[in-house]
Amino acid sequence: MNRRIIQILFYIIPLPVILASLFIGPSHTATPGAIMDLFLKTSDDSNLIKSIVFDVRLPRILLSFLVGGSLAISGCSVQAIFRNPLTDSYILGLSSGAAFGAALALAYSFLPVQLSAFIFGLLAVSLSYFTARKNKNVSIVSLILSGIIVSGIFTALLTIVQFFSDPFKLQSIVHWTMGNLHNANWEKLRSSVIPITVGVFVIFVYRWRLNVLALGDDEAKTVGINPERDKIIILIAATLASSSAVAVAGIIGLYGLLVPHMIRMVTGPDNQQSIPLNFLFGGTFLLIIDDFSRTISSFEIPIGVFTMLLGAPFFIYLMKKTNIGWNN
Amino acid sequence: MEQLSNAITVSNLSFSYNGSVILNDLNIDIKPGKLTFIMGQNGSGKSTFLKVIAGLLVSHKGVITILGNDSDSLSFTDRSKLTGYLNQQHKAIFPFSVEDVVLTGRAGFIRYVPKEADKTASVNAMRKAGVLHLRNRYYTELSGGEQQMVMIARLLAQNPQILLLDEPTTHLDISNQSHVLSLLKQLVSEGMTIVAVMHDPNLAFLYGDDFLFMKNRKIIRADESMQAWDTDFLKTIYEGNIQAIPFNGRALLIPYLN
Repeated sequence: MNRRIIQILFYIIPLPVILASLFIGPSHTATPGAIMDLFLKTSDDSNLIKSIVFDVRLPRILLSFLVGGSLAISGCSVQAIFRNPLTDSYILGLSSGAAFGAALALAYSFLPVQLSAFIFGLLAVSLSYFTARKNKNVSIVSLILSGIIVSGIFTALLTIVQFFSDPFKLQSIVHWTMGNLHNANWEKLRSSVIPITVGVFVIFVYRWRLNVLALGDDEAKTVGINPERDKIIILIAATLASSSAVAVAGIIGLYGLLVPHMIRMVTGPDNQQSIPLNFLFGGTFLLIIDDFSRTISSFEIPIGVFTMLLGAPFFIYLMKKTNIGWNN
Repeated sequence: MEQLSNAITVSNLSFSYNGSVILNDLNIDIKPGKLTFIMGQNGSGKSTFLKVIAGLLVSHKGVITILGNDSDSLSFTDRSKLTGYLNQQHKAIFPFSVEDVVLTGRAGFIRYVPKEADKTASVNAMRKAGVLHLRNRYYTELSGGEQQMVMIARLLAQNPQILLLDEPTTHLDISNQSHVLSLLKQLVSEGMTIVAVMHDPNLAFLYGDDFLFMKNRKIIRADESMQAWDTDFLKTIYEGNIQAIPFNGRALLIPYLN
């Protein structure tokens, strides 16, 4: 019964957290009192505050939410289709691939950033999958290992792009790869909202099917599901959502691993229940982390640093808890 | 529905895996509404045969007809209405509840999310298989035998016309063996066709209606002149290492030591 209450709570908290986040930031002008005045229209001279709230904070809040939600929901879906609780877009190398694609587009402007991130994200995840595949079987460990290799390749390629970039662009690329939301603006939000929404929507539609796929290919086929087709659809949707997140916010490592496991503690592994919560709580939790990262010190710590520091111990814990062998 | 003379017809079926021939030009038919057991030595291709029939191993040669349909032209969804398949072993990664596992048997009827009718069908299936008391347990924490029973409940939720079972009693203790076998008998009496690979020829002879044997990459039925439990026949199948003891008009087999 307690789980039920926590679930309901997860559905309710996004809105208050979004509203509260409007009041959080380093500005000395936009004090909570001044913002209240803005909303209650008791003050006239509030252009600066208005701009801080609506042009700086609001797009950042919405972008944090979308990025967090899309990383969590894609993490949960790739865990189900690869039958691997120790994976997410970061471990699959998808993030590095998308980051390379985005950096390439930023440096040479030959393709839209989102599209390039998607193409290279998909390329990276396919590479990881086919490298790990042996006798039509992909073990948990081999997928992690091939993800490391693919991630390494794309990180190296990203370094080459940085090497050949002009110094002005270089700084922005380096900053952005660390996983960063402080450049959020309406333009970034606009560029990512459609691909993220499409990806999230497709995964949402397939949420129950993930349960069938998570039982294994033979078990899916014999009850009437075409696992190859469904997995490709879901993988493309997950890649679309998380590569768009990478294109606007850089590499926010292990977040897509962390959140699905937190949600499973509440819902159990049933994806029909956990998928919507992954998006809602994934968005809310990243927003809370971002609120911390912009208030904890006078300079901003990239959010990817926080998620790595949270996610890494969690990964180790899962690795100890899950019985992983070379063949399962 | 038109009464078909055969539930499954296999013509000239061959299958190779990694260059070695596993099934070589098989011809057999399986009678509808009967409990058919497939026996044979380890590695004789029993499981492979069942997998090919279930549509899990493609790229075979020959024609398989399932209830009048060419097997190769069936979609996964159409096939799931005709045949259900029980794997020899199933390993789950995520700790789904038993209820969630059984509900996946309804996938062929579910477009995106299960409806109330699907949940009712799952509950009925769990009740029939005798696993309703496990419904909220984690599938991963059950014993091998209990998992087997849950997968059988999943098949009942799927409710196909033919069940293909790979060693349905292997992981079970003797009381669950009798539970499963009587369930299979009941299903057959309700009109279902069941084909099961069996390791234990005694259980097969005690409860089966028809018996098939795999030998030298072929599948055979004991010919008209002799019974399936005829010692001379079985010695050719199991290469001599058995002794048959007459029992209730059939036979019980025990290993023979030189």
